[in-house]
Amino acid sequence: MAVKSVAVKSAAKRADTKKSPPKKARLKKKTCDLGFLTTVIILLVLGLMMVFSASYPSAYYTFGSGYYFIKRQLIWAIFGVIAMVITSNISFRKYKQIAPTLFIISLLLLVVVLIPGIGKNIKGARRWLGFGPLTIQPSEIAKITLILFYAYLLEKDGANIKKFKVLAKYALIAAIPMGFMLLQPHFSVCIITAIPLVIMLLVAGARVRYFALAAAPVAAIGTFIAIAEPYRLARLTTFLNPFADRLGAGWQIIQSLYAIGSGGIFGLGFGNSRQKFMYVSEPQNDFIFAIICEELGFIGAIAILAVFAVLFWRGMKIAVSSPDTFSSLAVTGIISLVACQVILNIAVVTSSIPTTGIPLPFFSAGGSSLIFLLAAMGIVLNISKYETQKI
Amino acid sequence: MNINSPKRKMRIRILVSFITFTALLALLGVRLVFLQIVDGDTLSREALQQQTRDSEVASNRGVIYDRNLKKLAQSAAVETVTANPNEIQKAKKDINEISLRLSDVLGVEKETISEQLSKKVNHVVLKRKVDSDTAAKVRELNLTGIYLQEDAKRVYPFGKFASHVIGFTGFDNQGLGGIEMVYDNQLKGVPGRVISLKNALDSDMPFKEEKHIDPENGTNVVLTIDETIQHFVEKHLENAYYNEKVQKGAAGIVMDVKTGGILAMATMPDYDLNAPFELIDETEANRIKQIANQEEKISEQNKALQKMWRNKAVVDTYEPGSCFKIITACMALEEGLVNMNTPFFCSGAKVVGPTKIRCANVNGHGAQTFVEAVKNSCNPAFIEIGQKVGHDLFYKYYKAFGFTETTGFDLPGEASGIFHAMENFNEVELATSAFGQSFQITPLQLISAVSSVANGGKLMKPYLVQELIDDDGNIIKSTEPTVVRQVISKQTSDTMCSLLENVVANGTGQNAYIKGYRLAGKTGTSEKRPRGNGKYIASFIGFAPANDPKVCCLILLDEPSNGEYYGGRIAAPVVGKIMEDIMRYLNVEQQFTEEEKESMDSFVPDVKGLNVQNAAKRLAAESLKYKVIGSGDTVKDQMPKVGANLTANSVVILYMDDGAAQEVTVPNVYGMPLSDVQATLGAHTLNMSIVSAGATGSTSARTIAIVQDPAPGTVVPAGTVVRVEFRFLDVD
Repeated sequence: MAVKSVAVKSAAKRADTKKSPPKKARLKKKTCDLGFLTTVIILLVLGLMMVFSASYPSAYYTFGSGYYFIKRQLIWAIFGVIAMVITSNISFRKYKQIAPTLFIISLLLLVVVLIPGIGKNIKGARRWLGFGPLTIQPSEIAKITLILFYAYLLEKDGANIKKFKVLAKYALIAAIPMGFMLLQPHFSVCIITAIPLVIMLLVAGARVRYFALAAAPVAAIGTFIAIAEPYRLARLTTFLNPFADRLGAGWQIIQSLYAIGSGGIFGLGFGNSRQKFMYVSEPQNDFIFAIICEELGFIGAIAILAVFAVLFWRGMKIAVSSPDTFSSLAVTGIISLVACQVILNIAVVTSSIPTTGIPLPFFSAGGSSLIFLLAAMGIVLNISKYETQKI
Repeated sequence: MNINSPKRKMRIRILVSFITFTALLALLGVRLVFLQIVDGDTLSREALQQQTRDSEVASNRGVIYDRNLKKLAQSAAVETVTANPNEIQKAKKDINEISLRLSDVLGVEKETISEQLSKKVNHVVLKRKVDSDTAAKVRELNLTGIYLQEDAKRVYPFGKFASHVIGFTGFDNQGLGGIEMVYDNQLKGVPGRVISLKNALDSDMPFKEEKHIDPENGTNVVLTIDETIQHFVEKHLENAYYNEKVQKGAAGIVMDVKTGGILAMATMPDYDLNAPFELIDETEANRIKQIANQEEKISEQNKALQKMWRNKAVVDTYEPGSCFKIITACMALEEGLVNMNTPFFCSGAKVVGPTKIRCANVNGHGAQTFVEAVKNSCNPAFIEIGQKVGHDLFYKYYKAFGFTETTGFDLPGEASGIFHAMENFNEVELATSAFGQSFQITPLQLISAVSSVANGGKLMKPYLVQELIDDDGNIIKSTEPTVVRQVISKQTSDTMCSLLENVVANGTGQNAYIKGYRLAGKTGTSEKRPRGNGKYIASFIGFAPANDPKVCCLILLDEPSNGEYYGGRIAAPVVGKIMEDIMRYLNVEQQFTEEEKESMDSFVPDVKGLNVQNAAKRLAAESLKYKVIGSGDTVKDQMPKVGANLTANSVVILYMDDGAAQEVTVPNVYGMPLSDVQATLGAHTLNMSIVSAGATGSTSARTIAIVQDPAPGTVVPAGTVVRVEFRFLDVD
C-alpha cells in the first residue's frame, strides 16, 4: 500500500494530550487507520472469492468459460485498488476545494448519459457511459460527489442548517442529480443516494422534526401510489409471501430463499452452491448474498455481517475523530452510503423488503461500482490519517 | 472541549447512526436465524426437490419357467433413447442436424425426431428398446440432450409357444395377458432409482452427485406346464386345426388328474409373443389395413387382437355334448340308480313331453345294457338315465362337479358357465342336459370334472403356477394341490374308468385308441346354436392309463369345415396321438391285451450276410415273411432295413446280388378297410405300418384308411414301409 506506515507513536500521543484543537495551518499526518484498511481488504478478497464461486456456472453456461466474470472483476478490483491508493494520497483539503467542481462534472455526466447515442441503453435504462471496453455509471460518481458537495456546503452553513430555508436549499440541490437519475430511470440508486444525504443533514444538526414533517406527506403519497394500482401493490407485497406466485413474481425471491435455507448452519461449503446453477438469476450480482449463505452457512453469513459492522465502526470512528466538519461529514456520508447499500441488499435477498436492484458492496460483480467504492474508501483512509480525537 | 458544542452533537448523531446500522444488521442476522436454522430444513428440502432428477432403473422382470425350469419368458437388457428438448433448445443446438444423425442410427424418420425435439418439454422418448450396438452408436454421436436409459425387453425364446398361457408385456414391461398379467406384481420386482442433481436448465451438474437405490429383481414363476407335453399338444392341435379347416379356433388342455396341475394348455390360432400386436390371420390383417376410417380401423384392429389373445380353454363357454355323458353316468352310478346290466332301449329317438329327441344313430341302438349305452353314446338311453337321476340330484351333482362357478384358475377372464334357472329346468331341459346340451361350460371346468372321475372322485382345483422362486432357486411360495371336494366315490370312479376304456377300445372312441396305454375317454359333438346351420363343436376328452389314470386331455375343435365334424372322427385321433406321445414321454409302462400281443409290431432283424435259410429263421422268429430277389448265396441287402417296425406277417425283401434295388409305385389305399389295404400293399411288394393311434384293432369295413405315407404314385424300393392311418366311422 502506498499509505506510509511510518507510525510515529510518540507524535500521536503528543497530539492526544494537546488540549487545544489542531492548528488549521498544519495538521499532523499519521498513518492511516489500519483497522479500516484491513477490513476493506478482507471484504475485497472475500468479495472476489464469492464472485468467482457464484458466477462460475452462469459464466460457464452463458459464455462457455467459468472465468468470464471473475476475470473482469479482478481487473476492476486492480483498477479499484489503484484508485484507492490515489484517493488516499490526495489530501482531504483538496477534496474540499474541488467538491463543487466535481459536483458540476458529475451533473454534466448525468445529463450526457441521457443523450441517446452516448449513454448506453441496456434493458430499457440509460445508465452507462462507455469508454472503449470500460463502462461507468455516472450515478456511481454522483453519489460520492454529492456527498462531498454536501459536506462542503454543510461546513460553510454551520449552525444555519437548523433553519428550514437552508434545509430546503439542500433538498433542491439533491433534487437536481436525483431527477436525472429518475430519468434514466434508476429508482433504487435514488434511494441509496438520498439516505446518506439525510443522515449527513441530521448529523450536521438539521432538526429531526422537519424530516418527520416531510416524511408524513411522502408516506401518504407513496401509500396512495402503491394502493392505486393493484399490480404495483401485488409486486410490493410479493416479499411478504413470495410462494403465492412461485413461477412469476415470486420466482427470483423464492430461489434466493432456497439458497439461504439450503445453507443451514454450516453451509454446503465454498463452491458447492447448487442454487447458483441458474436457479438464482445472475447469482454474482444483486443476489450474491444468497449464495454466500448457501455456501458458507449461517456462520459464514453472520461473519460477513460482522466484518461489515467492523467497517462501519472503524468508519464512524474516523468520522468522529476527523479534523474538521467537512471531513467528518464526508466520512459519515460515505460510510452511510455503504451501510445503507449493505442493509438494503441483504434485506431484499432475505425477502425482508420488496425487491429492488441494489448491489452488495465489495461482493456484487459489476464493473465501475467497485472502482468508485474503493476510491471512496481511499478518501476515508486519507481522512483517517488526520485523526484528532479519540472517543 | 465544550460539552454543548455542535461538534459534540455531531459525534452523538454519528454514533446514533452507527448504532442504527448495527441494529439493522443484527435484525438481518435474526432474519437469517429464521431462514437458515428455523426454516432451513423445509427450504432446503424444497430446493432439493427442484434440484434433483429422480429417474427409475428398471428391475429385472422375473423369468417364467416350465415345470422343468426351461425358460419360457425372460428379460434381455436393452436401452431406450430419450431426449431433453428443452436442454437442446436452450443450448441452441441445430435440431435439424441432430435429427438427421439420429435418424441414420435409429432408423426413425428424421421428421418424427425433429418434431419430438421441437417440443417444449423435458423428456421425450425417441426409440424404445434398442440393442446394445445401436446404443453404442448413439453414445458415439455424443449429442447434447440425448440420453440412453437402461431398459429391459421381454424375450420369449419359443415365440408362439404357449402364447395364451404365458401372455405378454407392453412397452413398459407391464404384463398385459396370461401369467405375465396375473403375476405382474410378483414378476416385475421393485424398480430402483437414480437421484441426480440438475441445474435450472434441466441438464446435469458438472459434478456428479448421484444416489443409487438398487432395483429388486422380480420373482421367477415356475409353471405346471411341461414344455414337452405342451409341445405335443400344440403340434397335434395345430395339425387338426389346419386339416379340419377349423373356423372358430381350437383348444387343448392336459391336466395332471392327481393334482389338478395343468401340464399343457393351447389355443389355436396362436400368436407370436415377441410380436403380440401383429395379427396372425393375414386375411384379417389385410382387411383391417384397407379400412379408410382411422377410428374404425383402430377399433377393428383392437377387436381382432382381443380375439387373437382370447384363451379359448378358459374364457369361452360351449355346450359339451356327449362328453358330458360321463358326468350323467357318474350321477346314476353314484346314486345306485343303474348298474352295468340295467337295460335300455333305443329306437333312434325318444319323445320327451312335447319334443322328439333324436339319437345320433337314427336307426336306433335297439336293446342295450348300461355299459353298451355308454359305449354307443346313446342319447335316448341317457335321457332315461337323466330321468332316473331327476332334477334335484342332477343339479346337485352338476354343482358338485364345479360347473356353476369359476375354478379360481391362475389366468384372467375365466368364465363360469351358463345353466338353466331352476324354475325353467323342466322335463325337456333335464333330458337334453343329460346328454350335454342346452347349457354351457368352459373346457377347463369339464377337464377338472372328468379328472375327478378319473382320480377316484376328488375334484381338484386346477392351477398353473407350481411355485415362485428367487434367483438362487429358493422357493418363495409353492402351490399345494387343493381338493375342492370328494364328488363321487372311488368305486364309482373305478367303474367309470373301465366304462370309458371300453368306449375307446370298442365304442365311439376307437379313433383315440392307442396300443398299450389303455386310454379311456368320451367323444362329443355338439351342434352350435342356432341349430340347423351345420356348425358343430367336435371334442374328445380322455385319460390314461385307465387302471391308474395319470393325465387327462381335452381337445375341442370349434366349427371344423373340412367335411367331418364328429368329435369321434376328428377330435379323438388328436387326443390319441397326444396321449401316446405323453405316455411315452412319461415312461408309462405299456400294458398289452392278448389280442394286442398277437398283432404286435415286429422289428426287422439284421439278416445281411446270412444265407437264405438262416435269414428265414431269424425273420420267422419275428413273425415276418420274406421274398428273395437274385441268386447269390448270402443276403447282400434287405428291405426294410434293420430296426423298422412292421405288422406281423409283413414281407422282407432279401437281395442276394449287388445291384439296383427293385422299384415299385405306391398304390392308392385311401378309403380302403384294413384288410384291403394290407392286400393291396402286399400285391405291390410293399409293407404296412399302422400309425399306432387310432382304430388299429378293428377289421370292420367301417374302419378305413384316411392317411398314407408315401403318397400314391411315389416310386420307392420294394419292401418299403407305407404308414397308414385308419379312421373308425361309427362314432358320434
